Amino acid sequence: MTNSMNNNVAEILEKAKKLFDVRVEDIAERQHKLIAENDKTIPLLAFLKESGYSHLSILTCIDWIEEKRFELVYILFNWSNGVTLLVSTFIDRDKPVFYTVKDMWPTAEYYERDVHEFFGVEFEGNERCRLPLFLELWNDLPPLRKDFDPLKFSKEHFPDREYEKDAIHEAKIIRADLEDTRGDING
Amino acid sequence: MGEVKLFFGPNHPGMHGNFSVHMYVEGDIVVKARPLPGFLHRGFEKLMERRLWYQNLALIPRICVPEPDINEACYAMAIEKIAKVEVPERAQWIRMIVLELARIANHLWSFGGIGGPTGMYTSMFWSVSDRDRVLDIFEELTGARIYHMYIIPGGVRKDFPPKLEEKILKLMDYLEQRMPEYETFILKNRILHTRLKGIAKIDTETCLKLGVTGIGLRATGVPYDIRKVDPYLFYDKVEFEIPTATEGDALARMSLKPKEIRQSIRIIRQALEKMPAGPVNTKISDGNGLRIRVPKGMAYARVESTRGEYGYLVVSNGEETPYRVAVRGASYPQGLYGVEHLLPGTRIDDVPIWLDTMGVCAPEIDR
Amino acid sequence: MDERSVWEKIADQLRSRSMWMLHYCTGCGAVELPPSMTSRFDMERLGMGPMATPRQADILLITGYLSVKTLRRVIYTYEKMADPKYVIGFGSCTINGGIYFDSYSTINRLDYYLPVDLYIAGCMPRPEAILNAFNTLMEMIRKGEANGWKRYKENYEWYKQNQLRSLGEVIVHDEFHE
Repeated sequence: MTNSMNNNVAEILEKAKKLFDVRVEDIAERQHKLIAENDKTIPLLAFLKESGYSHLSILTCIDWIEEKRFELVYILFNWSNGVTLLVSTFIDRDKPVFYTVKDMWPTAEYYERDVHEFFGVEFEGNERCRLPLFLELWNDLPPLRKDFDPLKFSKEHFPDREYEKDAIHEAKIIRADLEDTRGDING
Repeated sequence: MGEVKLFFGPNHPGMHGNFSVHMYVEGDIVVKARPLPGFLHRGFEKLMERRLWYQNLALIPRICVPEPDINEACYAMAIEKIAKVEVPERAQWIRMIVLELARIANHLWSFGGIGGPTGMYTSMFWSVSDRDRVLDIFEELTGARIYHMYIIPGGVRKDFPPKLEEKILKLMDYLEQRMPEYETFILKNRILHTRLKGIAKIDTETCLKLGVTGIGLRATGVPYDIRKVDPYLFYDKVEFEIPTATEGDALARMSLKPKEIRQSIRIIRQALEKMPAGPVNTKISDGNGLRIRVPKGMAYARVESTRGEYGYLVVSNGEETPYRVAVRGASYPQGLYGVEHLLPGTRIDDVPIWLDTMGVCAPEIDR
Repeated sequence: MDERSVWEKIADQLRSRSMWMLHYCTGCGAVELPPSMTSRFDMERLGMGPMATPRQADILLITGYLSVKTLRRVIYTYEKMADPKYVIGFGSCTINGGIYFDSYSTINRLDYYLPVDLYIAGCMPRPEAILNAFNTLMEMIRKGEANGWKRYKENYEWYKQNQLRSLGEVIVHDEFHE
C-alpha cells in the first residue's frame, strides 16, 4: 500500500482516539484492533462506516468467562485501501444486552441472531433476535458459552456405539508386533 | 387466488446441499421467503475450542466441502499473524498453487451445479470429469481427493513430489484449451443461455449494502477482489486481472467463471516459475512438535474464495487449544439476508438458479 | 433361515438390477456422489440412478453426519419411501460419530434411529468404495439379507422411543414463526 493510504489510516485512528476515546492495538500490517467503551461503540461504528470502512465482514462474540464478560467484535473492511479494523467492546456476562446495528448493515440482523443463539446476547431493536435460526428445539445453555460442555450433552442425548472388541487393546498388540519387526513406528 | 406455503428443500434435486427455503407463493411468484439453515450445523466453533491447534486441521476442511483448502489457509494465516511467524518462501508459493487449483476445481464444480436447475446435464458430465483431473493432482500431492489437510500453520506439510510440476503444467494446458469449449458449447448453448439471461439480477448498490463479495459483486461491474485489495501470500508478486461483467444476472456470473479459471491458470504458471527451492515449513513455537502453543492474541485472516470473502477470526489465550475461532462463511449475506429480501418477486423455478449462481453454500453458513 | 417365497426370491433378483437412490445430500459425503454418477466412475452401469422423490426411491443414502435437525427430515423421508427400502450409512460419522463424537448437534450412531443395511467406512469414502458398497448391497438383496425395512416394522416401538429420546419431538416446523 502506498504511503498516503497509511497516513489515511493513521489519521482515522487518531480521530477515533480523540473522538471516541478508543484504545488501538496493531495486529498486523493493515489490521488494527479498536477497543471502545460500551456506549461509544455504535457512534464509532457509524463514524468508521462513513470514513470508508463500509464492509461488515462479521459480527461475533467471545466469551471471557473468567473476567465475566462477553467481547463483541465487529470486523470492518475498507475496499479502497484493504485495511481491516476489529472494533471490540465488552458487555456484562450476567446481563448481556447490546444495541443492534441492523440499520447500518442489514446483514447484521442475521449475525445478531447467530450471536444470540450461540451466546445468548440480546440485541435491542432487533425484533427477531430471539427466534431460533440454526438450532431447532434447543432448551439448554447457549452452546458456544464456555460453561456448556458438548461432550456431556452428547453423552446424555446421543447414545454411543458399544464395541464388543477392545479396539485399543488390539491396537496395542498390533503395535507391539510392529515394534518387534520394524522397530518404533513413531521413528 | 390465495397464497400457498411451499417448502423448497432440503430434500429436492434443485437444491444444492442441505439447505431449505420456505416460501409463500402466489401463482408461481414468490411473495415471501425465509431461509432455513442449520441442517449441517455441527458446532465446529465449539469443537475447535476442545481440540489442539494441530488437531483442528482435521476438522476445519469440513466447513466448506467443495473448496476445503481455503479453510486451512485462513486458519494457518491467522495463527501466523498472531505468532508473528515468517513462512518460508517456497511454502507460500505452494499454498498459492494449491489455493488456485482449488479455485479451478470449485468453478468446475459449479458448472456441474448449474446443470441440475437448468436441466442441461452435459455441463455436469463435462465439468465433474474435468474436476477429477484436478483432484488427481491433489491426490498425488496430499494423499486425499477431497479433504487435504495440507496447509498447516507455519507452511505446508510436505514438499512437491517429483514430476508433479510437469503434471500440473500439462493439466493447465489441457484446461486452457478446454475453456473455449466451455464458453461456446455450454454458456452459449440455447438451453443455458436463454435460461440464465436476465434471471436473478442484482445491482451494485444492493451487493455493497448487503456485503455480498466475490463473483456476485464482480458481475455487477465492481472489480473488488481480496487478492488485489488486501493481498495475502504472494498475490502482489504475480500478474493477473480481475474479470468483471456489467449485467449482474445469472449469465454474467456464470460467464465469469471460465475467465477466472484462465486467470488462475496464469497465476499457477507464474508461481511454478518463480518458486525457489528451500524448506517448506517452520515451527510456530518451541516444544513438542504437535502440541504447539500460540501466543496470546487475536487476528483475522481472509482469503478470496470462489464465492467471496472467507475469513477466520482466531483468538488465542496462550494455551494448547484455541480460545475461540469464528468463521465468516462467504455466502452468509446472500444465503440468509439475501434469500429473505431478494427472492420475493422471482419465479419459483428461478430460485435454484439464484441460489446456485450466487454461490450459496450451506455447510459454511451452518458451520 | 430364508423365509422368502419363490416369488419374493424372483422379485429380489429383479430389484437388485434396478435401484433408485434418493437424491438427498444430508452431509458432506454428497460431494463424492457426482463423480461416481458421471462419466469417470459411472454408477449407471450398475443399473442405479438418482431419484428425486422418496416415493419412488429404493435406497436412502445417508451421506455423512446427521444433525438432529436433518435427522427429523430423514425420518420423515424414510417413512415416506415405499417398501422395500434400504439404508446405507456413508462415512465414519454415521457409524460412531467420527470426529463429531462430542458435538452437541450431531448424532453418534445411525442404526439407533433407522435400520441400516450397510455402512461404508472412511472419511470421505472414495467413489470406488461407494460403487463397491452398491455391489455388496445388490448381493445382499439377492440373498435376502438386506431386510432393514422389516426390522424397522418389527421394532417400530424401539426405534420411535430412541428417536424421541434424542430429538425431543419429530416434527417439522416452518420458518415463518407464525
